[in-house]
Amino acid sequence: MSCLLLRLAAPLQSWGTSSRFTRRNTDRAPSRSGVLGLLAAATGRRRTDPLEELLDLRIGVRIEQPGRLERDFQTARSRDGQISMPLSYRFYLADAVFAVAVHGPDQLLETVEQALRAPAFPLYLGRRSCPPAGVLLHGMHDGDLAQVLAEAPWLASPWVQKQHRAPMVTLDTVADCPATEPRAELVRDEPVSFDPRHRQYDWRTVLSSQVTVPNPLHRSPTPIPAAAFAGGGHDPMAVFEEPI
Amino acid sequence: MYFTRCALNPARRGARALLASPHKLHGAVQAAFPPQSTPAVAEGRVLWRLDQSEHQVQLYVVSPTRPDLTHLVEQAGWPTTTGWDTREYQPVLTRLATGQVWGFRLKANPVHSSRKAPDAQRSQRFHHVTVAQQTDWLLTRTEKFGFTIPAGEHKEPDVAVRGREVVRFDRKSATVSLSTVVFEGRLEVTDPDRLRASLIGGIGPAKGYGCGLLTLAPLRRG
Repeated sequence: MSCLLLRLAAPLQSWGTSSRFTRRNTDRAPSRSGVLGLLAAATGRRRTDPLEELLDLRIGVRIEQPGRLERDFQTARSRDGQISMPLSYRFYLADAVFAVAVHGPDQLLETVEQALRAPAFPLYLGRRSCPPAGVLLHGMHDGDLAQVLAEAPWLASPWVQKQHRAPMVTLDTVADCPATEPRAELVRDEPVSFDPRHRQYDWRTVLSSQVTVPNPLHRSPTPIPAAAFAGGGHDPMAVFEEPI
Repeated sequence: MYFTRCALNPARRGARALLASPHKLHGAVQAAFPPQSTPAVAEGRVLWRLDQSEHQVQLYVVSPTRPDLTHLVEQAGWPTTTGWDTREYQPVLTRLATGQVWGFRLKANPVHSSRKAPDAQRSQRFHHVTVAQQTDWLLTRTEKFGFTIPAGEHKEPDVAVRGREVVRFDRKSATVSLSTVVFEGRLEVTDPDRLRASLIGGIGPAKGYGCGLLTLAPLRRG
């Protein structure tokens, strides 16, 4: 069993697990149903097809760069302009980047990886209007979810890495965990069916945690040549203290 | 020759007035010497410089005779705890030898002379305004001053421009404006005699207004 590492980045993403009616929320991290939906689209499953073995995959997310919450106030009218559709709020994450580790049997992961290279349906990050940007696949890694999330290099954008001045960075992670785990949280995020006529989600337990990884673009402050001067500044009196 | 350091207390009203005007500070420094002690030029002259960091103001004075800064300390220093520190400069000057490397700091007034209009009768001084011009001003003169500035880590002359400002202050009924710059870096002695002359005679114009005093400090390795 190993992990497939994905990097989800886009100008906009939206990952809702509790949206109802006219208010379409986003979580601060990709949902399991969203990621499984992405994989299902890549492998060519239709919405009415059963998800089968995809449900065996375990998913862990690391928030590389949290992004900013954007609200879209959406209006719509019927085709003849007579009837106003319900006004709705849609929330997005702008400029966020996530590392997603998918844990499962090697053979299945290889199929998924192949499918992501040549997806059957277009891929999107939570909403059809949010196509992924940048390199999606970041290779297969040995180890379980926690290990891969703790060891993967920081995948945030270079400008974020440069802005972060410290040599290490602490990132939040959200990973699937067994229901017996005492610190687990319940989310209604386990897709049972994506069929538009009767969508179904089940409960899922997740464990939030933190990991610390090195910042690849950290540069230790280079010693200034002028730092050779005594006492950080220039002390002219020091010439009188020198032994003759 | 004497080298003097005097800490000024910027929280005091007397200090504020002196820090605001190089003209007033010049007067205060000159008042440290009795009238009859005017030295010959060959012996050097009175030079001073104000080194201001965030919370510290240090006044450095080089002079042919021993200064008495009582009035300055009483007005603008810490009269009951800290006075001033005067040292004999000669031992340091005699120790200078070709090939020595020192850290240096120099506040200067880089200018060039030219005619304002092609048909003008006299040339006049104009400030150098960019960092490149100001650095070039120093680099083209170092030989005359008895030192060179060796290349640093980045294959560029090891000198940095720390503070650039244009100071304006009143002198009698006129306003004086000076463009001053603090050079800091590393120098290598090439001609000890000329360097001694630069240390006690000053470098460049505006020597009365706190420019031209070159100070050396030992380099600390590592």
